[in-house]
Amino acid sequence: MAAAAAMTAAVVVGVLPGPQGSAVAQEARQGGTLSIILQPEPVTLTPSTNMAQPTQVVAGNIFDGLVTYDFELKPKPALAERWEVAPDGLTITFHLRGGVKWHDGQPFSAADVKWSLENVWKTIHPRNKSLFENVTQVDTPDDATVILRLSKPSLPILSVLNGVGAPILPKHLYEGTDVLNNPYNNKPVGTGPFVFKEWKRGEYVKLTRNPDYWEAGKPHLDRLLFRMIPDAAARAAAIEKGEIQYAPYNPVPFRDAERLAKLPRLKVDTRGYEWLSPLLYLDFNVENQHLKDVRVRRAIAHAIDRAALAKIVWFGYAKPAISPVPSSLVTFHNAKLPQYPFDVKKAEALLDEAGFKRDANGVRFTLTHDFLPYGDDYRRTGEFLKQALKRVGIEVTIRSQDSAAFIKRVYVDRDFDFAISYNNAFPDPQIGVVRAFWSGWLGTGTPWTNGSGYRNAKADALIQEAGVEGDPAKRIAQFNEFQDIVLGDVPSLPLLELNFFSVYSADLEGIVEQGDQVYSSLKNARFVDAPKGN
Amino acid sequence: MALPETVSLPPARANFRDTTVGRLLRRPSALLGLILLAGILAMAAFADIAFTGDPLDMAGMPLLRPGEDAAFPLGTDMMGRDLASGIFHGARVSLLIGGVAALVSLVIGIGIGALSGYYGGRIDRALMRVTELFQTIPPFLFTLALVAILQPSIATITAAIGITSWSGLARLVRAEVLRLRNSELAQASIILGASDARIIVRHILPNALAPVIVSASILVATAILTESSLSFLGLGDPNVVSWGGMVGAGRETIRTDPHVAAIPGVAIVIAVLALNLLGDGLNDVLSSKGERR
Repeated sequence: MAAAAAMTAAVVVGVLPGPQGSAVAQEARQGGTLSIILQPEPVTLTPSTNMAQPTQVVAGNIFDGLVTYDFELKPKPALAERWEVAPDGLTITFHLRGGVKWHDGQPFSAADVKWSLENVWKTIHPRNKSLFENVTQVDTPDDATVILRLSKPSLPILSVLNGVGAPILPKHLYEGTDVLNNPYNNKPVGTGPFVFKEWKRGEYVKLTRNPDYWEAGKPHLDRLLFRMIPDAAARAAAIEKGEIQYAPYNPVPFRDAERLAKLPRLKVDTRGYEWLSPLLYLDFNVENQHLKDVRVRRAIAHAIDRAALAKIVWFGYAKPAISPVPSSLVTFHNAKLPQYPFDVKKAEALLDEAGFKRDANGVRFTLTHDFLPYGDDYRRTGEFLKQALKRVGIEVTIRSQDSAAFIKRVYVDRDFDFAISYNNAFPDPQIGVVRAFWSGWLGTGTPWTNGSGYRNAKADALIQEAGVEGDPAKRIAQFNEFQDIVLGDVPSLPLLELNFFSVYSADLEGIVEQGDQVYSSLKNARFVDAPKGN
Repeated sequence: MALPETVSLPPARANFRDTTVGRLLRRPSALLGLILLAGILAMAAFADIAFTGDPLDMAGMPLLRPGEDAAFPLGTDMMGRDLASGIFHGARVSLLIGGVAALVSLVIGIGIGALSGYYGGRIDRALMRVTELFQTIPPFLFTLALVAILQPSIATITAAIGITSWSGLARLVRAEVLRLRNSELAQASIILGASDARIIVRHILPNALAPVIVSASILVATAILTESSLSFLGLGDPNVVSWGGMVGAGRETIRTDPHVAAIPGVAIVIAVLALNLLGDGLNDVLSSKGERR
């Protein structure tokens, strides 16, 4: 992060040729309409309070952020040309790009950033509230400079500054209004490469090229057409026919993805989701009479063949997770940690040691499993766990329910034995990882926080210290120790690092250029040949 | 309508050809229905002997085609579960749910229909308003809502199907009872001083049984279909294997491996067809019973 802070304006994300340099032979062209799958229909188009995936997929094209993130999750300049973090971490200065205009022609300035920080990021943005909590004052000495003054350091801020993580809204349209009900939420005005044109409910959202975009020659495409196609089979057909050229976020079932990947006209790509780093995990209720014994939790960890789970249930669109901090968070991920390799004998030994012997039917005890009701992949994960644990003598009853009931059961009532769920980790563990372990969340009933009921004073202290630590190296050390503790206690077992995938037409280039691509803009995308099929 | 000469169900007669079963067997469609149903019952009965392991066990390679591996004659699904084992064990669950749910609707439907038809008046009006209430709600949506609220398990699914599918039967029984209530048979029993319960159970219901038996076989078929639809929508019991659940699980691979959904689908078709053929046959046989040919 220190390296990023020292970066200068010289670095601009440009159009890179394909990895094989294939762009040379083919003729790239300007213009054209890109049809994109948007599923499900968004509730709003402005990512200020609603963090749902479809909202962010559209909004990333309309709103430019201060930065974007590369595949290593390092920030790259966007509306901020460069930035500095003071050595004590208490001041962060952004130098903004000049000559940028809002889509309605008004000039973009430091005042917009200051207003958005004070009225959106710090107050209503669900992920950011705690990160910007320590920002006590925002100074704007001139139109191109924003200075954040903090009471305590908050380095994770530098990981959420893209267009959806810290959305900059036009002050002249929002000031003095009710931000949540402002009519511009559904006809957004941004500074990004594409301008909002029309939202026909149930059918499409249309964006057109921003002719005044600050980066010369960008975007290449004339139009983006986000289409809603609720049926998975119809989506697959539309992609195959070439009616849709870009489909992010697992638009078709895994088995269909395998089939589509073999077609020469299509590409299936798992890049562009690095900023999210989704992690599938198993929360143990540590108050359960069996699961309160750490040996039982470790035994279950040993009983699950995560490689097989990734291969069979997730069709290879996942890899075994060994830490709650996913390996895509290169700086913080620690591979030298307590490990739970697949070992049925060891699992049985641990269960025997804990005093849970097999009865006449070979059953040690019975647990009920709740799976996140987000589709058949999660249900099949539950079925996989049931079979895996049966082998070591734990009988599992699977219980299904809708998502409201699941959230209430796990996070509010805590009336469950063990449950699978997934969280996005985001580039800094402070944002997406520690919430599953910090005891401060207990009793608040907040979804996707500490579901296990885990309390560890040392882990709590490390989480809080790392939150306000200004030295990046010290934070890495703190998170290493944190990973060591929570993997030893294993209140929540990391199962898989999920790989979302996008399907897109092979005659497109520049469609996946960065680590936050799915939530960013398609300004680099262009057709290299005439698009087929329309 | 002539007064039926039997007061209770006829005892087995000397001439087999004249019995209900005998006449049923002479109808080819009904015979086919019986044979298919017997086959399904045999599959359910011998599931544990034919396939000893847990049908939910991931026994082989995922997505084997039928015939690709001799150990899995019907192939495997996306989790490597044996489809043949699933069909056999699924027959149990599907028949169990179908049978018990039909029994629940029979008890409710006959009870309400009989009381309503026999007593008439205010009781009739009150019970029929309740019946109409159930009739106006689309039964599948009603079942779906109940299962979603109660959380899916075999018991809740069976109860929900039973509770939502009795209304037609109640009206049918009511009409029959209403007709028989005013028959000379019932009038005579009243004069002889028989109690209401005795008249209903001993004299009226046995004579109203024909349409009930016919609708019972349709009720079982409908219950199997409803359970399949629920499972298909992900509201089945995930702890047991049922045909509908197997179709639902195969939905995702329908483009690449259609057999995963098609095989249990065919099983459902056969079961429902068998029950319908049987129902049609019973309908023909029982409704022509009084008319000696």
